[in-house]
Amino acid sequence: MPHLNAAYRFARWLAHSPGDADDLVQEAMLRAFRGFDALRGSDVKAWLLAIVRNCHSTALKQQQRRGFVPLPEEHDAQDGYAMVATTPDPESVSLRRDDERTLERLMSALPEEHREVLVLREIEDMDYREIATVTNIPIGTVMSRLARARAALKARWLKEAEGERLGVR
Amino acid sequence: MGCAESLRVQAYFDGEIDAVSAADIERHAEHCAECRALLQDLEQTRTAIRRDLTLGRAPPELRARIMRALDQETAVKTPRPSGWGRSTWRTRPFWAGALGGVGSAAVAATLAVFLLSPSLTNPLLDDLVAAHLRSLMPSHLIDVVSTDQHTVKPWFAGHTDVSPVVADFAPQGYRLMGGRADYLDHQRSAVVVYQHGPHVINVFSWAASQRALPKNTTRNGYHMAFWKAGDLEYCAVSDTGWDELLGLVRLLRDLSARDARQ
Repeated sequence: MPHLNAAYRFARWLAHSPGDADDLVQEAMLRAFRGFDALRGSDVKAWLLAIVRNCHSTALKQQQRRGFVPLPEEHDAQDGYAMVATTPDPESVSLRRDDERTLERLMSALPEEHREVLVLREIEDMDYREIATVTNIPIGTVMSRLARARAALKARWLKEAEGERLGVR
Repeated sequence: MGCAESLRVQAYFDGEIDAVSAADIERHAEHCAECRALLQDLEQTRTAIRRDLTLGRAPPELRARIMRALDQETAVKTPRPSGWGRSTWRTRPFWAGALGGVGSAAVAATLAVFLLSPSLTNPLLDDLVAAHLRSLMPSHLIDVVSTDQHTVKPWFAGHTDVSPVVADFAPQGYRLMGGRADYLDHQRSAVVVYQHGPHVINVFSWAASQRALPKNTTRNGYHMAFWKAGDLEYCAVSDTGWDELLGLVRLLRDLSARDARQ
């Protein structure tokens, strides 16, 4: 099964739990299998991840209909930060190897539309066109959304480092 | 706030712009401290994410579960009228497709095994079942097609870490179909494929370890027979009956014993 691992990784970042992610991947693989004839072009990976994403939104809608209310996404208000480092000491904000949980937590806390473009760009190493295919948005929007996502992650990261330095954690 | 070029700088960093514009951006960054800092940030973020956030690979249980569901799909897909898929599947609940048709009990059993009894899970057994299921997918069964042991055996030497016993037992009812390399238990294992009546029997082999060999068992309807011969461990997996499966095991053990005496 080509790109199963990519589908799995992507699902893990979209779904609320590993179990949900498993279901999501399975549903996506079945849909992909059934719709294989409909595949145009050669970009199987983008096509498959788009299916994962669609399955995810369908599942969310179903949960909402059933009265399941997921935690609200954090508001975008603080995501307008410039990507430029505002601290004179970039060394202190670089994450330590053993602190990967922090980064994972920060990523998970990002609004979904930010998280998904970051994952597709940095983890799946997709180009803007492929990301546009998966997320179904224009390339220009991919660009600006990616910039906002990176800025948002950076801002949270700096905030985290600041808190750490002050011993607030 | 923010240099007007920041989006182009990002595109440059992401390798999205042509060489001429890239040279342009590089010149710009020489003079713009903000964009230099931005490039540094982008690099730092990417490094951290790629270093720390790799969730890795789909677990073998999930892989097996999907294989099984896909197998059911293959089984039920053919007889359906051609207009079926597109119009209805979107609105069907997720499990309806996988659980519909003749194989629902088998799928449910698979799920039950994987979901309800994690404590009984031996990763080796899961891997073996997953590999067996995968082999039953179209075009996954055999890497080297041959009924000749003198073709199959040397092929393993180049493609796996082990060299198992291979023979055609057609007269006894076990026809040699070929061989396959598979990744199992962190090593490349050799799989010899036999056909017995309508059934496929996969005979896995890998270098013996200190660990105790699992007892013969049945998973998801597939029998698994284990044995050790020389420095190799073997497992035969199939949906044949136990008698048929153990018949092949006996033949292979005899063959190993003969080889050892020579």
